[in-house]
Amino acid sequence: MQRLESRGITGCFYYPIILLLLFLIAVSAVYSVSIGQVHIPFGQSMNILLHALTNGKLGSLHGIQESNSNIIFQIRMPRVIFALLIGMGLSLCGAVMQATVQNPLADPYIIGISSGASLGATIAILIGFGSFFANFGVAFGAFAGAAVTSAAVLLLSSIGGRATSVKLILSGVVIGAFCSSFSDLVIYFANNAEGVQQVAFWSMGSLAPSSWEKIPILAAVVLLGCVFFLFQHRVLNTMLLGDESAVTLGINLSIFRKIYMVLAALITGTMVAYAGTIGFVGLIVPHICRGLFGADHKRLIPATLLIGSLFMIWADILSRILIHNVDLPIGIITSVIGSPLFIYMIVKKGYKFGG
Amino acid sequence: MELTAKNLQVRRGKKEIIKNASVFVRNRQFVGLIGPNGCGKSTLLKSIYKSLTPHGGTVFLNDLDVLKSTEKKVSQHLGVVGQFNEMSFDLTVEQMVLLGRTPHKKLLEPDQSDDYQIVEEALRRTRLTHYRTRSYLSLSGGEKQRVILARTIAQQPELMILDEPTNHLDIRYQFEILSCVKQLGISVLAALHDLELAVMYCDYIYAVKDGEIFAHGKPEEVLTPETVEALYQIKCRTYINPVTHRLGFAYGI
Repeated sequence: MQRLESRGITGCFYYPIILLLLFLIAVSAVYSVSIGQVHIPFGQSMNILLHALTNGKLGSLHGIQESNSNIIFQIRMPRVIFALLIGMGLSLCGAVMQATVQNPLADPYIIGISSGASLGATIAILIGFGSFFANFGVAFGAFAGAAVTSAAVLLLSSIGGRATSVKLILSGVVIGAFCSSFSDLVIYFANNAEGVQQVAFWSMGSLAPSSWEKIPILAAVVLLGCVFFLFQHRVLNTMLLGDESAVTLGINLSIFRKIYMVLAALITGTMVAYAGTIGFVGLIVPHICRGLFGADHKRLIPATLLIGSLFMIWADILSRILIHNVDLPIGIITSVIGSPLFIYMIVKKGYKFGG
Repeated sequence: MELTAKNLQVRRGKKEIIKNASVFVRNRQFVGLIGPNGCGKSTLLKSIYKSLTPHGGTVFLNDLDVLKSTEKKVSQHLGVVGQFNEMSFDLTVEQMVLLGRTPHKKLLEPDQSDDYQIVEEALRRTRLTHYRTRSYLSLSGGEKQRVILARTIAQQPELMILDEPTNHLDIRYQFEILSCVKQLGISVLAALHDLELAVMYCDYIYAVKDGEIFAHGKPEEVLTPETVEALYQIKCRTYINPVTHRLGFAYGI
C-alpha cells in the first residue's frame, strides 16, 4: 500500500498538538512528584508547585505538611527535571544523528559514545583515577571516555578525505568494539565484586543520582543544544538529501556533519556522565515523531524534544511504581516500553522508517 | 550566464579520468555532453559543480571563480539535476522543492511568502501542483526526477547542469523534462545518452571520449557517422528523418 501523505497523520493540527504535549508534560511532572514511598495527593503537589512557581500568588499551602513540600523539592523535583532534560537531550541527539549519518538506525550512541563512557566509568569504579580526580569519580570517567571515543571516531572517519556517513558508522562500531573489549578486560582482572556490580548498575542507566547541584550543567548543555538545533532545520533537511545534492544547494555537509557530531557527542557525553547509558529513547522517539509529524526538521525537532521528555517522565514514573518500593534502573524500562513500540511500528504498514 | 571551464584535469589515484577538457556555455545556450558510459561525462560535470575538486584547470561563471568560491555563492547561480535522488528519509514534494530555496537563505531566515510563490511556480512548470502533499519516496522514477527538476527551478539558477536527466524515463517524461528545461531560457549544460534528443534540444555539442573532448560543434557537425562510430564503437548511419526533418540515426547496419 502506498502512503500518499508524508506530512504525518497530524497535518494541520501541529500547533494544537504541541500545546497539548506541553500540557501533558506539566501534568505528568506534577503526577511524578506526587508518587513514591510517601504518597502526596495530586492536588497538594499542584498547590505546592504553583505556590513556589508564582511566589505565593497562586496555590495555597493551607493544611499541607512542610515535610511533603520538602520531599517534593529536595528529592522528587530534581529527578523529574533530570528525566525531562535527559529525555529531551537523548531524543534530540537521536534525531540529529539519524539525519547526520543519513541512517534510520542511528541513535545518540552511534559513534561509540556508550562503549567509551562505559570504559571510562569502569576504569573510574574499578581502578580509580587517583586522588586528584577522585571527587569527580564516575561522572568524570564516563564523560572523558565519551569525549575520547567520539574524537577518535571523528578522526578515524575523516582520514583520507570526506567523513561519509558509512565511514562514521563503521568507525563507531570498530572503536565501540575496541572499548568494550577493554572494559571487559578491566572487569575480568578486577578483584572487586562490589565494583563489578556497580559497573553493571551504571551501564543500565538510572535517574537515581539526580540532585539540584547537578542540574545547572546538565540543563545548560541540553538546553543550549536544543536551542542551537531548533534553528538548524534547514541544514538538517538538506542532510537528508545526501552529500551530492547538498553541495549543489550550497551546503558542504562534511563540515556541518562534524559540528553536529561534536555537539551531539558533548550533549550525550554529559547525559551519560550523570545518568549512565539509557537506551532506546534516542532511537525510537525521533521515529515516533516522524510517523506523527513527517521528516521536515522544522516540525520534527520541537516535537521530538517534547515527546522525548514526556516519554522519559513516564518511563521514570513506571520505574518507580512497577515494583513496590523498588527503584528500577530506567534503562530497563525504556527498553521494555521501547521494544514493543518499535515492533508495532515495524508491523504497522503506515510508517516505513524513512525508507 | 556564461560558463567557462578551461583545461580541467581530474585524477583518481593514478588514473587520469579527465585530461585537459575545456567546455564553454554561452548565455542561454543549451549545450549537450555526449559520450559512452565511463568516458568521464559525470566526472567532468562534478568537477564543474564543486562536487569534485579538479587537479588542474579553472571554472568561471561569468566573473565568478567557481573553484575558489564557497558552495553557497556558486549554488546561487548554478543548479544541478543529478542522478543521486534516493534518500533514507521521506519529505513531501512541497518540502523537497522548498529546499531549492536553501542557497538564497541565511541560516536563520524563515521561508517568506515569495519563496512559496517561487515553489508554486516551479511546481506548475513541472506539472506537479497536485503532488504537493505527496510523499517523495512513494513517487515513480519519472515523478521523482520532475520533483528534483522543480527543486532546481526553485533555486532560480542562471545556469543549469543536468547529468543524464532522462535516465530510466519513458519517452514522454524524457520530452517533458527537456522541454521544461528548454523553456526556462537559461544556460544549460546537459549530459545526454540519446543522440536524437541531443539533436532536438542542443544548440552545441561536446563529444567526450576517454576523458578528452573528442569533437565539438553544432549537432549536425559533430554527429557524423564517423564520430558516432569512434565514440560508441558501433556502426552507424545518419539520415534526415522524413517526419521531423531532423537528423536521425540508424545503428548496427
